[in-house]
Amino acid sequence: MIEPLLVIVVHLVFAVAITPVLIGVMRTTRARLEGRSGGGIGQPWRDLRKLLAKEPTRAPGSTPVLVAAPILLMVSSLVLCALIPLVSTLALASVPGDLFVVVSVLLLGTVALALLGLESGTAFGGMGSSRHMVIAALVEPTVLLSVYALSVPAGSAVLAAIVQSRREDLSSLANPVSLLAIVALVVVVVAETGRLPVDNPATHLELTMVHEAMILESGGRDLGWLELGSWLRLTALLGLVVNLALPWAVARDAGVTGLLVGVAGTTVKLLAAGALLAAVEVFLAKLRLFRVPELLAGSFLLAFLSVSASYLVF
Amino acid sequence: MAALIWLPLLLPSLLAALGFGLRRRRWTMWLPIAAAAVVLLAGIALLVAVQGSGAVVTGAGLLRADPLSAWLLSVVGAVAVISLWGGLPEPGTEERAGGVHAALLCLFLAAMTLAVTADNLGLMWVAIELTTITTAFLVASGGGRNALEAAWKYVVLGAVGVAIAFLGIVLLSAASQGGGEATLSWTLLLQRAPVLDPALLRVAGALTVLGFATKAGLAPMHAWLPDAHSQAPAPVSGLMSGVLLSVACYAILRVQAVVDAGVGPELMRILLLTGGLLSLAVAAGLVLTQRDYKRLLAYSSIEHMGLLALGAAAGGQLAIAALLLHMLGHGLVKATMFVLAGRISSLTGSHRIADVHGLLQRRPDLGSPFLLGAAALLGLPPFVTFFTEVAIVVAGFSRGLTLPFLAACGLLLLGFAGIARQVLAMTVGAGRVRGAAGGSAASPSTAPGSGWPRRAPVVVALGLTAVLGFAAWPLAGTLLAAVAALGGVR
Amino acid sequence: MTPELYRQLLATTTGALLLTAVLQVWGRSLLRSIALLAVQGAALAALVLTVGLHAGEPEAPLVALLVLVVKSVLLPWAMFRSARLVGETRERAAQVSTAVELIVAAGLTLLAYVVSGPILGPDAAGQAVPVGLSLVLLGFWQLLVRGSAITQLAGFLLLDNGIAAVSFLTSGGLPLTVELGASLDVLLVVLILGVLVVRLQRQQGHADITELRELHD
Repeated sequence: MIEPLLVIVVHLVFAVAITPVLIGVMRTTRARLEGRSGGGIGQPWRDLRKLLAKEPTRAPGSTPVLVAAPILLMVSSLVLCALIPLVSTLALASVPGDLFVVVSVLLLGTVALALLGLESGTAFGGMGSSRHMVIAALVEPTVLLSVYALSVPAGSAVLAAIVQSRREDLSSLANPVSLLAIVALVVVVVAETGRLPVDNPATHLELTMVHEAMILESGGRDLGWLELGSWLRLTALLGLVVNLALPWAVARDAGVTGLLVGVAGTTVKLLAAGALLAAVEVFLAKLRLFRVPELLAGSFLLAFLSVSASYLVF
Repeated sequence: MAALIWLPLLLPSLLAALGFGLRRRRWTMWLPIAAAAVVLLAGIALLVAVQGSGAVVTGAGLLRADPLSAWLLSVVGAVAVISLWGGLPEPGTEERAGGVHAALLCLFLAAMTLAVTADNLGLMWVAIELTTITTAFLVASGGGRNALEAAWKYVVLGAVGVAIAFLGIVLLSAASQGGGEATLSWTLLLQRAPVLDPALLRVAGALTVLGFATKAGLAPMHAWLPDAHSQAPAPVSGLMSGVLLSVACYAILRVQAVVDAGVGPELMRILLLTGGLLSLAVAAGLVLTQRDYKRLLAYSSIEHMGLLALGAAAGGQLAIAALLLHMLGHGLVKATMFVLAGRISSLTGSHRIADVHGLLQRRPDLGSPFLLGAAALLGLPPFVTFFTEVAIVVAGFSRGLTLPFLAACGLLLLGFAGIARQVLAMTVGAGRVRGAAGGSAASPSTAPGSGWPRRAPVVVALGLTAVLGFAAWPLAGTLLAAVAALGGVR
Repeated sequence: MTPELYRQLLATTTGALLLTAVLQVWGRSLLRSIALLAVQGAALAALVLTVGLHAGEPEAPLVALLVLVVKSVLLPWAMFRSARLVGETRERAAQVSTAVELIVAAGLTLLAYVVSGPILGPDAAGQAVPVGLSLVLLGFWQLLVRGSAITQLAGFLLLDNGIAAVSFLTSGGLPLTVELGASLDVLLVVLILGVLVVRLQRQQGHADITELRELHD
């Protein structure tokens, strides 16, 4: 009983610590490739500190959603980090890090954010919320199918078990099932966390915003939680993808050496993946909203193919 | 004996190469007729040979001529001779160098020979696809946008349909593994049919028949037929209607024999009844609204193919024998009609029925054969089509398929009315025939192109169809042998 | 060949076939379609080699070479030539949007799995037959919805690749003569359609076939 709790605590601490660094690395990579010097790797951490110290401005007449939504997003992101096998594959027996649980938790955060966008009553907030929900709705089948495809050879839909079985059976990594599912999951990560080409996190033009539009009216501590919550989602999902693709160095249990190796390994993988993602983003342009369903339909098709392929081989 | 198979295969190919190599000479237009004559003679010789001494096998077992193949070969030769001879351009008209045209026609004949003498179903498929390819250019050679559209539809629909047949053949090969090594030889498949996996055999048979039905112009896969047959030059249309459709029907018969031996006649019966009735319905419905007489003839082909499908569905000696005789009769008449249609269109300069009047009066050398040919197409006595149509219907009733065949009779009657009306409008209706050279002063008997050499193929064909019905006795033995070659379980 | 290696190779080649077929549906570039067909031809050749070597056929490398040369080199070259003669590299808007096409493609793959019940064979290769069937269905779909003559041609070749895949997966292929004949036929069809496309472009200025609707009843 103690060991899984220890693992969860390690996950949470690790996630919160690494997230600003991940975002910093991604921004710096992008800046350097674009010929700028950027704000440095520690800038997101400094921004967070500043925001969390400030008092939030809340307009009179706002509903409790304004207070609750950032916290709900934060909580859902933390739960996600706890359930996803970031450092170790020892799972809590009573709350399985199951496929459906993970998807539902993701959705919880999505809905909280969407409600926040509607809360402000401005046109931009509503626009952001509706776009956000469209993308979430279209991406959900892909998540379900691609994780399902990966779960077929493992025999279990618990994410930790999937990562464990992939670590033990290395031949499953070069399988077409895996490759297709991983590619589909990458598109999912891009869509769920609002990266290019689905959404530009660095845009200033309100009409092109999806995620930023929903948090336009927030300030101070609220904005701090919102930013951290969104970044944690990126960490969790990207961590899931890298651990599925390269399951080495993930700890098996709660032993100290295992955990240390796990932390180090996941840090390296996460930062490398983040830098790669940022580097690719330099060459991409944001898709028009009408073309996003094409991209998501394509990723759905790849996930679907991976499910059919999993029945071929297994 | 084996030479009788190789001759109609290799000689037309050689003539094709010759025609292609020397394509600027005027005499290349005689090459296809020579090839057709060779095919006809080889077919008749084979008929005699196989009746005497059993099937002829050659080419490492890939080629085989049994009475059915020999009969089909003779049909192909006869129809091709009539079509190509009658389709010769009028003496004195400047024809552009047609060596490539002639080469393609010779290749077409070689491919047809391969299709009917192949024992290996895959080889038969290859040959039938080759005919699509050779005729595609011939259809497009009419020039102009409509010909191009017709050729495009023909190639795409034909190739797709034949591809489905290929899938079916591939699955047949897979099914044949149930009795030994995978094989596509028709004789081996027929032998092994009772022990093959029934579900796979059903799927394979259905797909193959579906594919070849597309090639035979059975509804609902007939969409390419009216366009292709109306836009092609007249001799090519005659060949396609008379020969190509019949050989596709032959392919269906071969596959049907295997499937029936394996899983019983129900599946094929249902498929062919549906295709046949739908074709009759489509033809009956659309002949009344036709404005182009070549298209009218194409729909009549669809009707006759529907009748053949019904005959195949009924099964049994009478139906199949009648079917085979009908292939010959219909082929000869259709070729004649297309030849005449070609001459009418070069006379009036138009493809439209409304532009042709009073042929019987103005140009009896065109009008009376046209009327007689239409009578043959409608199944009027004394033409052989009367006897074969009656035989097929009687066979259908005697096999217990009363309702479908009653419906077929009704649809045939409808088609009768439609075609009769259109043809009568062309031949007996009042009005002047617009002469291309502006001369209605030319008396009919001295009009260009009405001399005996030009009338000969038409007269021969029509005469043959009139007499064949009564010549059933000498032919009966041949036809029954051909039916028996199909494996006579039915 | 060990059974494990055989299954892996089978999975990889059939997966590549399916992936290239599906990617054909996605995107409007004609050159990309042709390149995908070339890759698909190579995957098919690899499949032929795998199945043939596993069954111990001596002529497997020869047949694989034939498939490679025809489907990966000659046919894409013929199509590329036609595309260049016509001067079109991108397709105009088709009748259905890309997202719908992709979803229908997924549905067709599912359909192929559902209907291939009687065709499934007992061994690993026989289990992979639905891949060939889905290629056939996807080829049909492409023939149906695309407007450019060249992508219709690509759809037909997809259909043909699917049938070839089914043939090799169910019975180890057809006799060499029939294979040669079938390859020749497909090559000739592509050449003829290429010529017709060029004539079409001269007649109506572009290679869309959506306007070929003059002949009808």
